[in-house]
Amino acid sequence: MRHETAAPLLTLAGIKKSYGAVRALQGVDFELRAGEVHALLGENGAGKSTLINVITGARTPDAGTMTLAGRPLGELTPAVTRALGIACVHQQPALFADLTVAENIGLRLEGGGPWRWVDWRRRGQEAEQLLRRVGADFPANRTVRELSMPEQQLVEIACVLGSGARIIIMDEPTASLTHREQARLFTVVRELRAAGTGVIYISHRLEEIFSLADRVTVLRDGESVGTQAVRDITEAGLIKLMVGREVAQLYPPAESAPGETVLELKGVGCRRAGVRDVSFAVRAGEIFGLAGLVGAGRTELARTLFGLTPADAGEIFLQGARIHPRSASEAVALGVAYVPEDRRRHGVVLEMPIAHNVTMAIHPRVFPGAWLRFGAEEGLACQAIRDLAVKCSGPDAPGSSLSGGNQQKVSLARWLATKPKLLILDEPTQGVDVGAKSEIHRIIRRLAKEGLAVIMISSDLPEVLGMSDRIGVMRGGTLSAILPGGSDPHTVMAAALGQAK
Amino acid sequence: MNQNSPSAGWKSVVLRYETLLLAVLVVEWFFFYHYGTTVNRKGVVVGFGTLDRQFDILRHSCEIGLLALALTPVILTAGIDLSVGSLLGLCAIIFGKLWREGGLELPLAAVLTLLAGALAGGLNAGLITRLRLPPLIVTLGTYSLFRGLAEALTHGAVTYTDFPAEFLFFGQERWLGLPTQAWLFLLAAIAVWVLVHRTTFGRSFRAIGFSPEGARYAGLPVGHRTGLVYVLAGLIAALAALIYTARLGQAKADAGTGYELFAITAVVLGGTSIFGGRGSVSGTLLGVAAIAVLKNGLACLPVVIRMNAAEEMSGMFTGALLLLALAGSILPNILSTLRLRPQAG
Repeated sequence: MRHETAAPLLTLAGIKKSYGAVRALQGVDFELRAGEVHALLGENGAGKSTLINVITGARTPDAGTMTLAGRPLGELTPAVTRALGIACVHQQPALFADLTVAENIGLRLEGGGPWRWVDWRRRGQEAEQLLRRVGADFPANRTVRELSMPEQQLVEIACVLGSGARIIIMDEPTASLTHREQARLFTVVRELRAAGTGVIYISHRLEEIFSLADRVTVLRDGESVGTQAVRDITEAGLIKLMVGREVAQLYPPAESAPGETVLELKGVGCRRAGVRDVSFAVRAGEIFGLAGLVGAGRTELARTLFGLTPADAGEIFLQGARIHPRSASEAVALGVAYVPEDRRRHGVVLEMPIAHNVTMAIHPRVFPGAWLRFGAEEGLACQAIRDLAVKCSGPDAPGSSLSGGNQQKVSLARWLATKPKLLILDEPTQGVDVGAKSEIHRIIRRLAKEGLAVIMISSDLPEVLGMSDRIGVMRGGTLSAILPGGSDPHTVMAAALGQAK
Repeated sequence: MNQNSPSAGWKSVVLRYETLLLAVLVVEWFFFYHYGTTVNRKGVVVGFGTLDRQFDILRHSCEIGLLALALTPVILTAGIDLSVGSLLGLCAIIFGKLWREGGLELPLAAVLTLLAGALAGGLNAGLITRLRLPPLIVTLGTYSLFRGLAEALTHGAVTYTDFPAEFLFFGQERWLGLPTQAWLFLLAAIAVWVLVHRTTFGRSFRAIGFSPEGARYAGLPVGHRTGLVYVLAGLIAALAALIYTARLGQAKADAGTGYELFAITAVVLGGTSIFGGRGSVSGTLLGVAAIAVLKNGLACLPVVIRMNAAEEMSGMFTGALLLLALAGSILPNILSTLRLRPQAG
């Protein structure tokens, strides 16, 4: 089954790439064989994205050689790599929102000039076939705008399948997929491997790598620190390779007994957001996990508590006082903080420096009389950078220059600066590498210990189970169960799927 | 943009867009000083190089300069206000009517006019933030509405004149050596500079300009701040109307026609991004100066005078300058791309 002896399909040697003073890649060696799934692992900022950009021709390396099936490659552009049979499923689907699925697939796959004849029936049939292959259950004539994020991801995968590429790069393809879609995707990847395609698979979920990949290459600080066969390495060994040290314990234990009730919801609903009849309470020092499937209404509930979609039913009490935040600024003033899921759009303003991002939610406190105090701001930013170990060139570095995990830390720093009573975290470690993940976990635990009430929304089941003192499970816009921390995964999944009763 | 890191070194100062614009302005000024100054038959120096002409330039730039100041915060939030020129006309008429037909004292009439300007800006603000309509469409509507109101109030014919000398002092006389309105303009410029560069308001404008959603999730009062820039624009347009009336000694309905486009040109030429977020008040001031000097300087060139084409020439050159500036702002990207090319092979 495994083509251990197969000749290398793609070989990279000594690849270097710098952006100004930042050395993103400093000598990466990588080899992909035909018919293998080769996982690429590394912390955020280790250089995975840059390496992909080099392979797809989006970036030109400063040094190093690339060989495809024994032939040295010259300067690459995205058009050249596509012609060579290299395709990439990006983390963020890049589809035309107002065109149908079939049109999107057609635009990617059909050749010819602008004046060619479009065979609509064939285009539709081919799109349907590809959708069936990736296990999608929506028709090809749907407009992309109507599709959910995971469904769009499936369209991306269908495009890549249809291109018949011999090298396929998948950048965290399962980040937003449901379990069923994931299973289907794994089947597709295994089919591709059997057909002799080389798959470069990027994921932070170690269990995926162990169940899917043949070999794994670990990047650390822009260098390849090792390539190993997956069956020869353990999970702990892999983590050690990635972070360069042992991660002793993935989930820090709860240390404090919860205090008085901070937040209480009684039958809270918001018709516009699709949330109905939610009742629970969170106490000081408690981490209340919110589990559930994508689309179960967890983010919507958070947005309602944060005033973005104000509640239109029920009552919310914060430290005993009834509140009804009608806007985010009201919620902030009341002591509610929300670290959003989409950090690039909502978590940080990418064009603004870290310092401006960190102080953005505390203008009235740091800048009394609306008067900017640059010294105080820089001090706060530097402190946040130190406290949360943000990897950056300084407080003036724009948000866009940071890796995903560091953007998340800046987003978190902004909300910690508000000294909130209630902290709502929405997928705090999605797309964050193992090292930063356990750092964030430790920070969350520390905050709870300091007396904060924390609501943590997460689709990462082990995370919810490991971190939460109690777990609320949402389904169809309402809370379907509240379980004690440390419940077994099957009970939680059953509640999320509605099989509890 | 770098105002919070004074230690960034000389390079970041010299290579800033504003410095470049200042250099262009200086070159422009010396060019016109050299070629636009002549001695007439009676042996008197005339043209660009005289102090009178310089003050004239200053007087004429105050109104467009004020509108450009008004538009800088608006454009920083990625908005636009096309109605400021029309509002200038409407406010001039309101002022004249309050004084002449309402029989109010001039100071009271002036204060009420400023209020009316803010109120008109509030109409823009309400339509944009409450009904969530795009600023371009809203202010395109009020652009016609305000001008139409001004004409309706005067039946398109009445012009208010014969203002007392105490009032004309603000538009035609000098105070402490400079044209009086230049002092008012300076005050307004300092106020807007402080607002944009030294307060949390300016910080919010930029955040909204870069990412309105991001600003909202950060708990910034996005609606309030967005509304504020339009109210402020209305207020400043009313001030410009008062100065305009004082300079010409008359208030008429077509006052300030087309000024909004000059003002937008000045703001964009000054390096403020039309997509929001980036820009500075000092850039806007330089942009206003560059356009004013160009316009007046051309009118002093003998060759232009012979052709009797000052208006046309200034329009052409202003346009060319704007396009050059826009091309110039992407030049650094092009250069860095070119620098990287040879190493790639």
